[in-house]
Amino acid sequence: MRLASSPGPKGIEQNEMSGAAVRAEGLVKHYDGREGTVEAVRGVDLEVHAGEVFGFLGPNGAGKSTTVRMLTTLLSITSGRAEVVGIDVARNPDEVRRRIGVALQEAGLDPRQTGRELLVMHGRLFGFGAVEAKERAQQLLALVELEDAADRVIKGYSGGMQRRLDLAAALVHEPEVLFLDEPTTGLDPASRLTVWEELRRINGRGTTVFLTTQYLEEADQLCDRLAIIDGGRIVREGTPAQLKADLRARNGHGPEPTLDDVFLDATGRTRERGAGEVQEVTA
Amino acid sequence: MSATIELGRRALREAIRQPDALLMTMFIPLFFLVVNTGQAAKIFPSGSTEFLEGQGYGAFQLPITLLLAASFGMAALFLVEEIEGGYFDKLRAIPIPRYAIVLGRLVAEGAKGVVLATVIVLLALPFGISIASGPLGFVLLVALTALWGVVYSGFIQLIALKSRSAAAVNSGGLIFFPLLFLTPNFVPRELLTEPMEVAATVNPVTYLMEALRSLILDDLDWGKILPGFGVVAAMGVVMLVLNVRMIERYD
Repeated sequence: MRLASSPGPKGIEQNEMSGAAVRAEGLVKHYDGREGTVEAVRGVDLEVHAGEVFGFLGPNGAGKSTTVRMLTTLLSITSGRAEVVGIDVARNPDEVRRRIGVALQEAGLDPRQTGRELLVMHGRLFGFGAVEAKERAQQLLALVELEDAADRVIKGYSGGMQRRLDLAAALVHEPEVLFLDEPTTGLDPASRLTVWEELRRINGRGTTVFLTTQYLEEADQLCDRLAIIDGGRIVREGTPAQLKADLRARNGHGPEPTLDDVFLDATGRTRERGAGEVQEVTA
Repeated sequence: MSATIELGRRALREAIRQPDALLMTMFIPLFFLVVNTGQAAKIFPSGSTEFLEGQGYGAFQLPITLLLAASFGMAALFLVEEIEGGYFDKLRAIPIPRYAIVLGRLVAEGAKGVVLATVIVLLALPFGISIASGPLGFVLLVALTALWGVVYSGFIQLIALKSRSAAAVNSGGLIFFPLLFLTPNFVPRELLTEPMEVAATVNPVTYLMEALRSLILDDLDWGKILPGFGVVAAMGVVMLVLNVRMIERYD
């Protein structure tokens, strides 16, 4: 597929994406491991529409995080092409970084700063003036309900508070696309619900959300569309309702399939075989 | 540059919030100063030992204390902690020059080095150690110590970026001990045995130590001071180039 090009802001070449916030074509990542070349991602094609919450699911080691890391400029692309808001990830990584927010698997925070210091510093690094950065930090602390803990060092935050602060840090510059890699892994149910609420609120303001998760209930609740990756390739893509309907059509009459059934069908796993990997799934 | 300064300020805040680490950075080198001086002061009495230039043996040992303190930087350990914890990637996803992430920490190491060197010298003064080269010599002494701290921290940061492992960083920090002891650390170079003298002559830390020692014991002797700054400048350029290259290629 060829993409038409047009000059964008600051001379950055932007492609006509017909509403695509993220697009990947034949995305491949190979690593040189001790036992030869590891093919972590083997030709991923996907398109995320502007304004949607897109779920990216897959078993452990399927290539979810590697794909996200390539899309967020953190990992080089072996071959293929990726664009975020029409900007080529490999050619203009800094321009992509200006447009995206990133919260990776672990809540990556500096434990020796206070929540406020961290957000102010991120504002400054994104080019805000001192006053503007402080104001933005205050807004975000209110958004993620961390005003009371704002001046405590992050080391003392609970897992849920760290996740919320991580989200806030990813939102400092009002990104167009927010990449979240397993944002609720390890959180208790109450904290998970709080993060879901934040995500809905953020998406409601127009931010496109690219979400990887192992919790199918989470995908069912939050995602407009989703893709399932297995063995480095996309094996299913569509809305949760479409994917369930497709499975039902193929299986004939029977109980209404859940997203768990779709996932197990797509990845060729049975409940018994996949128990170790998807045991949290309850949808 | 503003990103480097911003990240440097953050690293300084970090250091201030770890006073125990700062205290240990001071305690171990001062411990060596007391022990080494206590063991050898009678062998080298100030009145009859020419190379002491009228000062006590503690003055001769002070450069080792300064170099040790400057070499106990925490920059690489904090960096590897961020790599393991994921904050390093968060910073890499911000549109700042990637070198700012490593240079910010080195700027903070430099500032810390100035404070540490000043405090150690001030603590040494009441014990009869003086800076014979005067106020300018004191400034040069502090600057050279701090610059060495930056250079050495930069090399350990390379281990952090390459290995991404705290264990490797801790082991890498031990490299300094052979370098420190292959110097004229107890007596001047000309009094060393021949193999040790050869080893000391090819060891760049020797010239640094001799520059610091000269600033403490002599008037401004540029013949000894400049090689020290030359070593730090040359190693600093190599360290900077390697750090920038490694973080730009970090995948």
